[in-house]
Amino acid sequence: MESFPIDSLPTAGDIHMACFTAVKNAPDLKEKLQNQDKSLTFAIVESNLIMDVFQLLLAATKAAHDNETGKLATQTISSEIIYNLSPSKNIAESLKRFGITEDTTSLIAVKIGGNPDEIMEEMSRTVDGNLVSFSKLDQEKDMTKLRQYYKIDPKVTEDKEILNWIIGAIAMKNVQ
Amino acid sequence: MIHNAQLIKQGAEAKVYLAPFCQRQTIIKERFTKAYRHPTLDKKLTSRRVVQEARCLSRCQKARIDTPTVYMVDTENYLIYMEYIEGCSVREYLVTPEGQTDAAQTKVAQEIGRALGLMHNIDVVHGDLTTSNLLMRNETGGSVVLIDFGLSYVSQLIEDKAVDLYVLERAFSSTHPNTEAMFEQILKAYGESGKASKQILKKLEDVRMRGRKRSMLG
Repeated sequence: MESFPIDSLPTAGDIHMACFTAVKNAPDLKEKLQNQDKSLTFAIVESNLIMDVFQLLLAATKAAHDNETGKLATQTISSEIIYNLSPSKNIAESLKRFGITEDTTSLIAVKIGGNPDEIMEEMSRTVDGNLVSFSKLDQEKDMTKLRQYYKIDPKVTEDKEILNWIIGAIAMKNVQ
Repeated sequence: MIHNAQLIKQGAEAKVYLAPFCQRQTIIKERFTKAYRHPTLDKKLTSRRVVQEARCLSRCQKARIDTPTVYMVDTENYLIYMEYIEGCSVREYLVTPEGQTDAAQTKVAQEIGRALGLMHNIDVVHGDLTTSNLLMRNETGGSVVLIDFGLSYVSQLIEDKAVDLYVLERAFSSTHPNTEAMFEQILKAYGESGKASKQILKKLEDVRMRGRKRSMLG
């Protein structure tokens, strides 16, 4: 598991994230996620839609800020992280797209604040899979879906520009 | 307010900080409130301008014009978090030995003209074009990046776009003597990349005759 401070809001605690591969209980996790089950205390995102750790950190940081100002659009700060990844304002659709599917085998678990040891234990207990570090997550990204969800201009082909496009879309979501 | 932030620039409308954010060095632009305005009005104006600036930046990014990527907009505290661009301004570059050569000036002029043409194509008027607001990105070998959209707005008017160019022309002639040829090259590149550039360049001649402000007499 890796932990990152939120420089813009240090009081919120750190962003903790753990990547899992060879996940076996995706259908169960997906159901909990869709039903906003209270026993699921962290966010779960489809890892092949995360181009860069910055993308996920940004979504989590925004969730922490909105939680602080009482402006969460969803029920919990965890679901807000997933919602923030999506440029769409449709909550159900966002959770469906950026949360996991029944066939997901690799995912990223994210939580803001709390004790790292306890979170790690909780995540390992809930997700049935192999824990890997973020840098080891060298899996193919689903570019077709990324392009579709973020409405990326077909002329944009370079990875760096694609990432910037994604970041811009996440940033401008709440700017009416 | 911002953890570990280092103040790098201050103007009349905003302060610019460099600070770590999500593991990246990030520019944070803070518009400050004006004590002389009524608080309610001030809040509304300031947050609207923050949003306007972010929107113009985003609009440019979507048109694939090189501008800083917006990371986060905080309308409560009037902050825009955006990409930190490593490089120097065109203003600084033009006084270096390399920047004095004709070849370098031609290359920069072409890039500036092209970028401005594309920007005006999507009806974004920058509002404060100076050589300090044009950066040269280190990582791409000095491609030109447009920054500071604090005074920018969306307008289809040829007049507004012509004034935009006029402001840059004045900035050039007052900060860089003997760069008339370079500005001509900018206009040439602008003419090649802009949609309505012919009319805008024609309008520029009118604007030159009378200055930035249009006479409202009669």
